[in-house]
Amino acid sequence: MGECRGLPIAAHLGLLLALAFASAFVVVLAIIVWLPPRPPDVIRADQLIDAFAEGYAQADAGAVPDNAAMRWRVSPDAPDYVMPQHGPVRGLRVTLAQKLNLNPDRIRLQADFLRGDMFVFRVRDPERRGDFHREPFGRGRDDDHHDSRETEDSESPLLAPSFNPEAIPVGPGGEPPRFAPPPPGVMLLSGFDVAAQLTDGRWLVMRQGRNWDDFAWFGRAALMAGATLAVLSLLAWWFSRRLAQPIRSFADAVQAVGVDPQSAPVAETGPTELRGAARAVNAMQARLVSLIGDRTKTLATVAHDMRTPLMRMRLAAENVPPEQRDRIVKEIGEVEALVASFIAFARDDPAEEARVRLDLSAMLQSIADDQVEAGRDVRFEGEERLIVTGQPLGLKRLFSNVVDNALKYGGVARVSLRREGAMAAVEVADDGPGVSEAEREAVFEPFVRLTRAESGAGLGLPAARGIARAHGGDVVFADAEKGALVRITLPA
Amino acid sequence: MMAESFSPARVLIVDDDGDIRDGLVQVFERAGFCARSAANVPAMEKALAEHGADLIVLDLMMPGEDGLSACRRLAGKGGPPIIMLSALGDDADRIVGLEIGADDYLAKPCNPRELVARARAVLRRGRDASADVSSEARRFAGYRLDVARRELIDPDGVLIALSTGEFRLLRAFVEHPQRVLSREQLLDLAFANDSDVFDRAVDVQVSRLRRKLERPGQSEIIRTVRGEGYLFTPKPSA
Repeated sequence: MGECRGLPIAAHLGLLLALAFASAFVVVLAIIVWLPPRPPDVIRADQLIDAFAEGYAQADAGAVPDNAAMRWRVSPDAPDYVMPQHGPVRGLRVTLAQKLNLNPDRIRLQADFLRGDMFVFRVRDPERRGDFHREPFGRGRDDDHHDSRETEDSESPLLAPSFNPEAIPVGPGGEPPRFAPPPPGVMLLSGFDVAAQLTDGRWLVMRQGRNWDDFAWFGRAALMAGATLAVLSLLAWWFSRRLAQPIRSFADAVQAVGVDPQSAPVAETGPTELRGAARAVNAMQARLVSLIGDRTKTLATVAHDMRTPLMRMRLAAENVPPEQRDRIVKEIGEVEALVASFIAFARDDPAEEARVRLDLSAMLQSIADDQVEAGRDVRFEGEERLIVTGQPLGLKRLFSNVVDNALKYGGVARVSLRREGAMAAVEVADDGPGVSEAEREAVFEPFVRLTRAESGAGLGLPAARGIARAHGGDVVFADAEKGALVRITLPA
Repeated sequence: MMAESFSPARVLIVDDDGDIRDGLVQVFERAGFCARSAANVPAMEKALAEHGADLIVLDLMMPGEDGLSACRRLAGKGGPPIIMLSALGDDADRIVGLEIGADDYLAKPCNPRELVARARAVLRRGRDASADVSSEARRFAGYRLDVARRELIDPDGVLIALSTGEFRLLRAFVEHPQRVLSREQLLDLAFANDSDVFDRAVDVQVSRLRRKLERPGQSEIIRTVRGEGYLFTPKPSA
């Protein structure tokens, strides 16, 4: 079982079909072998005659025949039977006529089982249950329908001279067993109509139908279908689990790789196709990891190569007169800010930092306080305590970027925090020229700057939006009476 | 300027860039330190063995063994305090540096005077025997202060962001608990008072910090001792 998991999906399907076919076949075979066969809907000719004779007597007396096993009807006209009334039928007619003391002309017979020229079963070997012999019927033409005189002296084949009802085996309840072998020479009939003219000229019709008692046979058919269905569903369940389980764990593993490229490689198990896919994902993951490694190395090198000269310049600036030093330090600061924003944007990986519950109010307050410490005009007001789940460094960078932006273009930053339903809404307003409606989306594109004169790489807002969206929120420009108003929403 | 500098503190500057080495040596000597320099980790080991050092200013990215692994090794065997000076200035880089045992972390290019101020602060902390909290987390009154990450986690597990001033003040309190600290002491411990950037009224910072530590039904964490200063009441544990 373990080793066949590696087969292609087509082989799995083929296996399933073969198993399904075999199990369905076994179920049907088992039911046929172990359960009794369908009993034939038969009645012995003598019972048929007795039943009709009794009903005839009752109907003639003006009553309704009370034998519920038969269906009775009285019709004004002779039934339109097409069956030739000679041969074995003639024998039955003669017997009935004798019994009812009627002219055989006033008796009509019809059998359902008229196919070709066979219709009567006769038991040949009483020892073998259910082995019926079909006897040819209608050797003669149906030209002598009403020839009663010829039929009268015909010998009845229906009741063997040796027939003795006492000889029928009796079941435990005193009833004759349902499938007791009939004595030799007794004709068994099924689906038989008998009609005879009553004394008032109407016709009494008796129908011996199917053996409706034996619904067990239908139960057996239902059992066959049901059991097959049950076995097949079990098979289908087992198979789909077998096939789906490796696919599901494959999906989980791929998901994990998507979130964290350093996660364990996808296990190469399951059907051949899935193993191939797992191998491809693992190769991709290895490339991803090396790419990330390359990126980290590149960024570190860029940072080192750009900041080392800046540090040299900064140290050299200590030895120049203060007025010049301040200018140099300012320039160094601007270049450094540019380098920092490039590196921050390039290494931005929202999945890297763990998410924790944090107080957004305390975070915004601390950002404002740090800016005030550095001599900038940043004010915060709003909710006392508003807890969100997020990445502390990422969110700090988000808000710092927006606040820095406000300070750069608007001179001040007024930060507010409000709870709006399931979201926390932070608004950062400034006193600058604002952003026209046409440019409000463009500023979120990397490297887009509205004024060339200002420093900065144009990466602050794109990075802020990236972080907010990774948290399920957003950063947009909103309408303001004056200046720009940046609205940051985060799920609270 | 500093009362404790009877003999000048020995600082060892480790950087692969010659200009930066010379510049920093100059800056530290001007500030009254005895400064030496080394171009790489083996040279640093040699200088440490020959002359010793009270403080190491360590560059992160150097050819050969880099600053991080040297820092981890030195911190592991209880060497002198280390200030990492790195071209990687991200918060995440700073946290990594502090978590592996650096006492402070500055990004290049930095203000040389701020570096000197930080060096003084680190030395001052290092001399206080009770204050060995360089990079580990401390717990008090249900709070947890992660020094490396500069994170305060409240008793509900919620991260309370601190401003730089608040963090430094809280760290000074946690390092000197259950002791009345005067405003001057706090200024000295928390804000390295020779830096104009951090020279702010202690009272403002204390009241801000109090507001962040305030919880209903909780006893006062920072108590005002009239005419003397402030007292941090809980006893922190590691």
